[in-house]
Amino acid sequence: MKRRVLIKNMALAAVGLMFLPACETGTKKAAAQSLPVSLSSGQETLLAEVVDTIIPATDTPGAKELNVHFFVYNMVTDCYEQEVLESFVKGLDTVEDITQNNFGKSFGECNAAQRTEILGKLERSGKDDQKEFFALVKKLTIQGYMNSEYVMTNLTNYQMIPGHYYGCVPVKESKQAA
Amino acid sequence: MANLSIDAVKERTYDAIVIGSGISGGWAAKELAEKGLKTLVLERGRDVKHIKDYPTTSMNPWEFEHRGQLPLDVRSQNPVISKCYAFYEGTTHFFVKDNEHPYVQEKPFDWIRGYQVGGKSLLWARQTQRWSDFDFEGPARDGFAVDWPIRYKDIAPWYSYVEKFAGISGNKDGLPNLPDGEFLPPHEMNCVESHFQKQVASKYKDRHVIMGRCAHITKPEPIHLQQGRAQCQHRTICERGCPFGGYFSSNASTLPWAARTGNMTLRPNAVVHSIIYDEDKGKATGVRVIDADTKEATEFYARIIFVNAAALNTNLILLNSTSRRFPNGLGNDNGLMGKYVAFHNYRARVSAEYDGFLEYTTDGRRPNSPYIPRFRNVYKQETNFLRGYAAGFSASRMSVPGGDGLGASLKESLLNPSLGGWRVGSHMMGETIPKESNYVSLDLKQKDDFGIPQLKVSIDYDNNDEKMIQDYFEQISEMFTNAGFKNIRTSDSKQAPGLDIHEMGGVRMGHDPKISLLNKWNQLHACKNVFVTDGACMTSTSTQNPSLSYMALTARAVDYAVNELKRMNL
Repeated sequence: MKRRVLIKNMALAAVGLMFLPACETGTKKAAAQSLPVSLSSGQETLLAEVVDTIIPATDTPGAKELNVHFFVYNMVTDCYEQEVLESFVKGLDTVEDITQNNFGKSFGECNAAQRTEILGKLERSGKDDQKEFFALVKKLTIQGYMNSEYVMTNLTNYQMIPGHYYGCVPVKESKQAA
Repeated sequence: MANLSIDAVKERTYDAIVIGSGISGGWAAKELAEKGLKTLVLERGRDVKHIKDYPTTSMNPWEFEHRGQLPLDVRSQNPVISKCYAFYEGTTHFFVKDNEHPYVQEKPFDWIRGYQVGGKSLLWARQTQRWSDFDFEGPARDGFAVDWPIRYKDIAPWYSYVEKFAGISGNKDGLPNLPDGEFLPPHEMNCVESHFQKQVASKYKDRHVIMGRCAHITKPEPIHLQQGRAQCQHRTICERGCPFGGYFSSNASTLPWAARTGNMTLRPNAVVHSIIYDEDKGKATGVRVIDADTKEATEFYARIIFVNAAALNTNLILLNSTSRRFPNGLGNDNGLMGKYVAFHNYRARVSAEYDGFLEYTTDGRRPNSPYIPRFRNVYKQETNFLRGYAAGFSASRMSVPGGDGLGASLKESLLNPSLGGWRVGSHMMGETIPKESNYVSLDLKQKDDFGIPQLKVSIDYDNNDEKMIQDYFEQISEMFTNAGFKNIRTSDSKQAPGLDIHEMGGVRMGHDPKISLLNKWNQLHACKNVFVTDGACMTSTSTQNPSLSYMALTARAVDYAVNELKRMNL
């Protein structure tokens, strides 16, 4: 009985951990630093919508379907300073605020054109924190998308084992693997 | 005490002990075991079995949680090793973390270490060039350090011997200052590299651009297949360990070969405290070992001992091996042990662009690059600094993904990158002059977890190095200009010594016991059954990547040692 409860709790913990750092050493830093800021479910959804606006589904999947929002949050949590993480979370709230001011509804309720307009405002914003937030999210979205299994195996011809190096290939004939 | 019973002593007695299982220790193990000696190999780190213990070797980029990037806490806890180009999410398990084995930096020194079976042979850059007499004669001609007690003819057959087994690819270039070896087919140059090669050859009599010689099996010979190794597959993720055994490492090559003889006992997690010296016998009788996990001390005994703990740790072990006869370290009668340490100067780079050959590109990946052998001060002294530098060189074209905009247009441009122009780059590998003031010593006040004194490191650049960097900038820039390269930029990383991972010396070879520690057979002058054949033995550094010379010196020294044993001279 006890064992079953434990397993159930572990399963719950695993779900809860989805947005927490999972790398081997990541667990050790909690004691020394303050705990990573976690996202509310609303922020989580918003982030998914933001990355999907940056790289939307077309005839191939967009960033959201490829779980790039998980990657973005994971990177910000594990690989950046605490201040960056905090301004990242603040940035998400700013997106929502600007959307409300402009369209009187949430980012999630906006259509694609409106969403693009909002992110464009951030990109061209006179405020450094808004600009930096957008630059960071865009950079990580591109990184996560281009390095996703789907893109590397289906679209950019990644080869783990090329088996050769040819030094002088006409561009016309090259496959241009990344 | 039970462990002093005769049986227990017998159980812990071998013909030979090898301290360290890296690139030179692996060779000592193979040679000793093949010659029939019961050989104990002591490795301070954990075991790493070929293929089985390469956890990241077949991971795709998307399988790394941070796509290779190091998490912030790993970087902040490891400021030293985080500077190393090979330390990333796929290799953290093969590096000694900064807090694992502390040392004292009297001057900044980035000590990069791999404590595991195979040591840094899993991580090395695999460049393998022979020395020539222009290198061995350097100290005598230019009046620094001491004369090398060997010349090219002494080591040449041993270069051949280790090259055939390890598998070295290269082109027979016929250069007197970089002798040819036993080569497997060379890697290919690309159009811009060949262009540069031709331009340099036409404008400079004594300067050459050649394909790098490297420890990759470009076409396996039977001896490589017998080792269970296969042709290099051009994955260029070597530092994670190669499941094909495409490049040479102790794990893929020498250690399994030694194991197959039935004569080798490999003991991981065995930290060597010191070597035991017996005054009555006038020789070393064994080593004191501390178990890395239990901290339990044990002694092992043998007739000969090879010290291959990696340059600075070999110094540490010998300095810590004190006795009434050798109060300052084993064999250290002249007080020079730990001194005259040198390294390679890797601070400088030159990069540029080339707008020719735009209709050509490359395909696949290459675990190697072209090489410019030393051309300064080779035949005579011609500059205001001593010695010179070799240089790496390579050209490549990268895809440049468009990153503008948002939405479908951004996606479209990301997936249809344009091909950028050719970029070329070079890095310097400069010889540094061994000096008494560049030294390591023991800090008797600060000990490590095993009660062993910490190593104090005091090593720095000097004015000769600074002048050499300027000359490298000028000469390479001129060569680039002559080849039509544009936008030439120089950069000095100012990196501390150590990051080159080519630290050498401290237990130098020489003719005279008064001014050197080892004789021409890598034998301690004052304790003849102890041999040092890793980087610690180097009298000078020249410019070649040193591992191939360690391999050759090791095989040569083992041959001598075993003959001496047979003649009852040890």
